[in-house]
Amino acid sequence: MKNSENHLSTGLRSRLLAGAAAFAALLVLSTGTASAAANCIKGDRKAPYTVGWANIYSVPTWMKQTEGTIAAEVEELKKAGLVKDLMITDAQGNAQTQIQHIQSMIDANVDAIVIIAGSSNALDRVISDACDKGIAVVNFDSLVNTDKVTAKINTDSAEWGAGAAKWLSEQLGGKGKIIVMNGPAGISVSDDRRKGAQPVLDANPGLEIITETNTEYNAAPAQEAMTSLLFANPEIDGVLSLGGAISAGSVMAFDRQGREQVPITGENARQFLELWKEKGLKGWATMQPNWLGAFSVYTAVQALEGKDVPAFIRVPLPVIDDSTIDSYLARADKFPADGYIYSDYDKALFDKLLAQ
Amino acid sequence: MSAVSSSGWLYGAIQSRRNRGLGGLYLVVAAFLVLYVVLFPGILSVGGFSKFTQNWFPLALVTMAQALLMLNGGITLAIGPLVSLGAVIAATTMGGVFGVPGGILAVALTGLGIGAVIGVIVAQLRLPAIIVTLAGSFIITGVALLLLPRPGGFIPGWLSTGLAGHTPVAFLLLVLILLLWKVFLATPLGLGIYAAGDNPIGAFRSGVPVERVKIAAFALSGLLTALAGLFVAAQTGSGDPVIGAPFTLNSIAAAVLGGVGFLGGKGTMRGAVCGSLLLSVMINVMFFLGFPPVAQYIAQGLIIVGAVAVPELLKQWRARR
Repeated sequence: MKNSENHLSTGLRSRLLAGAAAFAALLVLSTGTASAAANCIKGDRKAPYTVGWANIYSVPTWMKQTEGTIAAEVEELKKAGLVKDLMITDAQGNAQTQIQHIQSMIDANVDAIVIIAGSSNALDRVISDACDKGIAVVNFDSLVNTDKVTAKINTDSAEWGAGAAKWLSEQLGGKGKIIVMNGPAGISVSDDRRKGAQPVLDANPGLEIITETNTEYNAAPAQEAMTSLLFANPEIDGVLSLGGAISAGSVMAFDRQGREQVPITGENARQFLELWKEKGLKGWATMQPNWLGAFSVYTAVQALEGKDVPAFIRVPLPVIDDSTIDSYLARADKFPADGYIYSDYDKALFDKLLAQ
Repeated sequence: MSAVSSSGWLYGAIQSRRNRGLGGLYLVVAAFLVLYVVLFPGILSVGGFSKFTQNWFPLALVTMAQALLMLNGGITLAIGPLVSLGAVIAATTMGGVFGVPGGILAVALTGLGIGAVIGVIVAQLRLPAIIVTLAGSFIITGVALLLLPRPGGFIPGWLSTGLAGHTPVAFLLLVLILLLWKVFLATPLGLGIYAAGDNPIGAFRSGVPVERVKIAAFALSGLLTALAGLFVAAQTGSGDPVIGAPFTLNSIAAAVLGGVGFLGGKGTMRGAVCGSLLLSVMINVMFFLGFPPVAQYIAQGLIIVGAVAVPELLKQWRARR
């Protein structure tokens, strides 16, 4: 695929293509761009841009909501004349198909690709191909290994796990029998959250993990798993649930079995927040904000516009506790019943995150 | 001399009859390929062709692995996990003392071995293949996760570039494997796979060692599947313990799409490979047509039904004429 004509001389351009990213950034700077260019950006792409959104799986509600924030952001950027088109793909959970989709986006010469990776390693090669073509690649939520991307955007999964474990340990006074509910096995996010919790658990030897299990980030399978755990364990003091609607499933399992609710951690699933209020739970929740999607599109466009963006943008985890839960539940009706109530976002927040 | 020519005539007649049944599928696949070229002419460049065939290659391999068993009257639900295990073994052994040759050997032996064990259980204990391979799929998934709890491992860069760079090596390998299949079919064992699938008792009475053939079919199928995993590892540059999962269903879909029957003895390998090509090219065509994801789900279903219906309708139309 040929790059469109640009104002750089041929000699300079071939050096650009051959040179390392940092070197290229310097050259672009010398041709008159206002600030140093971000990774992958060569400066030959002009607005309005075509944005590709390579999703691994569009069916879960979290994904639909995330896609919603992306579409809304694209509408905003269209109004500003920065984006002309959004291409959306859904790999239906198949990392192999996602490779094929990203390859097609490269073939179609899109200007930016926003990705939630279906595998932390499998996309490395196709993504670095995209980067070599000067496409702004922004990866969020589920990250890839390669650093040949414009930016990676995520919250810190280890901090997620550590925060949850710390809260639970404080609730239980550092002593008690707990159950750990993990997300699916073999998935980096669930693995990282669990790993983040470990140092806190080690520091509190009074906390005894009676059992732990893996389920999908969904209420129904989590309820089923917790129900069988309840039969096997008459004495449970707390539940360290590490995400999605797993906490809601687990609370419902306690409820159905007529067991007394115990302190539980979780995520901003509307179902869980409502149960928390309804049952008067002792709860703690954080979130993977859906607007990471919107923020990724914004970042890609900023990078294409010649702004320098950090290679890794760590988004602080918003925490929901008894003092803030009401502000979330007040907005509940704007979110799907099985969806996630995310914190508010605007352009000012994005600029602040980019400036860090 | 006359014996040779008459057997040649018989061969030709049988081949043309088998191809006729596939005419509709060939038409559909050709139409999609033409559409793809129109939408994205870059596919005709060496780089574009290479990248497209690389994405198709592992599906083609597992489809062959599945078709091989279905022709023999079997089926396997362990394709996906075995692809993952192949990738995991490749990614964990290639950095070791025996390097790439050791890694390839380890993957091949694992595939053959697991296939053979499943084959022995199915053939000697006379358990249904679907149950044995379902159980096997859980075990293999567990082993893959034990070996590599999260994506990682190491594949040398030159191997990745060699197999899945900007050259059509994957396509040439596929052609080679199809030629080997042709040769294999000319051996008693190869013929036995069809014969035992079509009519096990008849085959047995004609001297085909039905059970041994079945074990061989499972072993070869396991080998192809594990090698597909090796390719996936090379293509992605690493191992992933769950990357293969979607291949199980896709391999069955592609084989059935290609006219391979569930009851054994019916179908051809070229049809199955064509079916896998359709599944693969369909994804790219839908992308370039700009279908939104929801429409892609629906279109995918319609295309699959259509591809099965068109040959059937053609057959009826021919019969009426």
